[in-house]
Amino acid sequence: MIRRLAPYAVAIAAAAAITAVIAVVAPAATPSALSSLYLLPVLWLAARWGRGPAITGSVVAFLLYDFFFVPPVGTFTVRGPAEVLELAVLLAVALVTSQLAASQRRAQATAEALARDSRALYDLATSMLRADEVTNALALVGDSARRSPSVERFAVIGDAGQLAGSAVTADEVKQAGWSRDHTQAVGIAIKDGTVVPMKTHGPASSVAYLPLKNGVVVLELKSDHLDAAEMRMLAALIGLVDLLLDRRRATVEAERARGLEASDRLKAAILSSLSHELKSPIAALRAGLTALTAPQAGLRDEQRELLGDLDRQATRLDRMVGDLLALSRLEAGAEMEREPHSVAEVLGGSLRAMRSLLKGHEVTVRIPDDLPPVEVDEMQLGRVFSNLLENAVDWAPTDGAIEVGAVLIDDHVEAWVENDGPPIAPADLGRIFDTFWTRRSSGTGLGLAIVKRVVDAHGGVIRAENRRRGPRFIFTLPLAHVAVSR
Amino acid sequence: MSGRVLVVDDEVEMQRALRAGLQYHDFDVRAVGTGEEAIRESVAWRPDVILLDLGLPGMDGFTTLRALRPATRAAVIVVSVMPGEKDKVRALDAGADDYVVKPFGTEELVARIRAVLRRQADVTTGEPVVRTGDLEIDLARRHVSVHGDTVRLTPTEYELLRFLALHAGKPVSHTTLLRQVWGEYAVGDKYNTRYVVAQIRKKLGDDPANPKYIVNEPGVGYRLEA
Repeated sequence: MIRRLAPYAVAIAAAAAITAVIAVVAPAATPSALSSLYLLPVLWLAARWGRGPAITGSVVAFLLYDFFFVPPVGTFTVRGPAEVLELAVLLAVALVTSQLAASQRRAQATAEALARDSRALYDLATSMLRADEVTNALALVGDSARRSPSVERFAVIGDAGQLAGSAVTADEVKQAGWSRDHTQAVGIAIKDGTVVPMKTHGPASSVAYLPLKNGVVVLELKSDHLDAAEMRMLAALIGLVDLLLDRRRATVEAERARGLEASDRLKAAILSSLSHELKSPIAALRAGLTALTAPQAGLRDEQRELLGDLDRQATRLDRMVGDLLALSRLEAGAEMEREPHSVAEVLGGSLRAMRSLLKGHEVTVRIPDDLPPVEVDEMQLGRVFSNLLENAVDWAPTDGAIEVGAVLIDDHVEAWVENDGPPIAPADLGRIFDTFWTRRSSGTGLGLAIVKRVVDAHGGVIRAENRRRGPRFIFTLPLAHVAVSR
Repeated sequence: MSGRVLVVDDEVEMQRALRAGLQYHDFDVRAVGTGEEAIRESVAWRPDVILLDLGLPGMDGFTTLRALRPATRAAVIVVSVMPGEKDKVRALDAGADDYVVKPFGTEELVARIRAVLRRQADVTTGEPVVRTGDLEIDLARRHVSVHGDTVRLTPTEYELLRFLALHAGKPVSHTTLLRQVWGEYAVGDKYNTRYVVAQIRKKLGDDPANPKYIVNEPGVGYRLEA
């Protein structure tokens, strides 16, 4: 109260002081000429404290001048237009000057507020960038928002609960979830870069919810004090929260991807070592079983037959372990070592490795002599042929025919493996390459899945068709671009 | 006895199975579990063939192989579970005569052992003519024929075939072939050997999908059938 009245006291004192000055110098000049001296304190008062004190000063000055210097001296009588004009001038000066000064002060205050806001945002942005974790940066923004005098509570809710800011109740988290799911703001909006409180339907609550792309801001305002600058600042802070939530999501996704990749590699490494461990006992089994099938072992025919069966089972087990490892390596993104290769030569390697399995089947190879080389990983293409041949042996009749071929079509090579077994049900043609999908209870469902993955990794396509003779597996291979030096 | 075989494997079950299986095929067999014992036994017992498992405890298979090479003239067949192609090449370059991937059947192993023994015998007789099926390579006269019909090869083609013939039955790595045929500095372009082999096959009338003479060793190199 005292502080607010002080300018008025100063105004009265100033008017009195000027009156004293005029009284002292009056004999030397006409008082009417000296009356303009009163403009000085009025100007100063207007500029310093605004309209109220300036008008007070003007009125007091006029009354003092009228009382002391205007005849009849000693009375407050106002006579003649000159005196009215004098009072009017003083009042006008007071009003105009105080108006000017006030707008000046307002502009300055706004500039200062803007500078303060920018400074605060700048500081915040800097510490945000320095924060190692997005959550820490969010906490900084939350703290900053809560320092605003207009804000009671400010909290950030993410997909999996609260991330930063003031304490919120479980109900409020639920409400935030609703707001996010329906992308519907409750109680506030952001318009033209400022926070605008809004009336909402339903039970009145002072808590507002603003959904962002990757989270929700929960805001409780002190309703009796809504400063425009604070609201703008708040809108800016909410903008920062939005950015931070985006960044957080990107980080979380990148980490998840890294995690998956690492777990794929780990899986491949574990399977690799496991396969090694599994294959060692299979090796001892096969060595022992096949040792006993030698005629010199002196076993009866039916005993040798039984051992032969057991050895075939051990071999199958070995192949399954190999397939499992191959598939896991392919899924972990095994590198293809691609070089120019002759399809016939790679096929030759597979046919040779599978000689005993192919025994009893008539295998026809149809590859033109002038087929250009393909750009492939030799071992992986060999696996494609082996698996398709194995599949053909499984389905072709005991002495059935198997055809393998390759031709040049436009800018790629199309290769195929066909058998004369029963056709594949049309419904199965699409899913026959799915992992673990198999047409037989004894199959592992890995062989064709591996084939598809290898073909994919070479940028090719594979499909199964029913031909007149039987099912045919057709896949494409990229041509090699070779410059041969001889 | 068809020959002495030293089995080097740290698994007792494997030793016992191989000993039985090979003895049924008339081989004289001894089995040891470490690289040190293998070296000692190779000098003391003088085996014709050593079956060396690469996954030995202590002194590993490659170290043992390098130590064995100057100590013995026995053929070494490397045995391994899930070897990468690089391991196979490394073993061949370190002096192995062949490799067998575990698990394997006794018949397959016996066939490999007989093949290296046959090769040893050929080398000992110093026969200048290498024959495989209808293919005849006369190293002294630099003459190649199929069915008695002369085959004309370019110097590069002949050089490659000659090197395979000198090591008939043994897989020869691409890098070794490159170095032998094109010299020390021509390393790196495997397609060159593939191209030349394709040309030779064409002249010999050999089908790459079902070769009678030059066999592709996937990821490793080539081998001339012995």
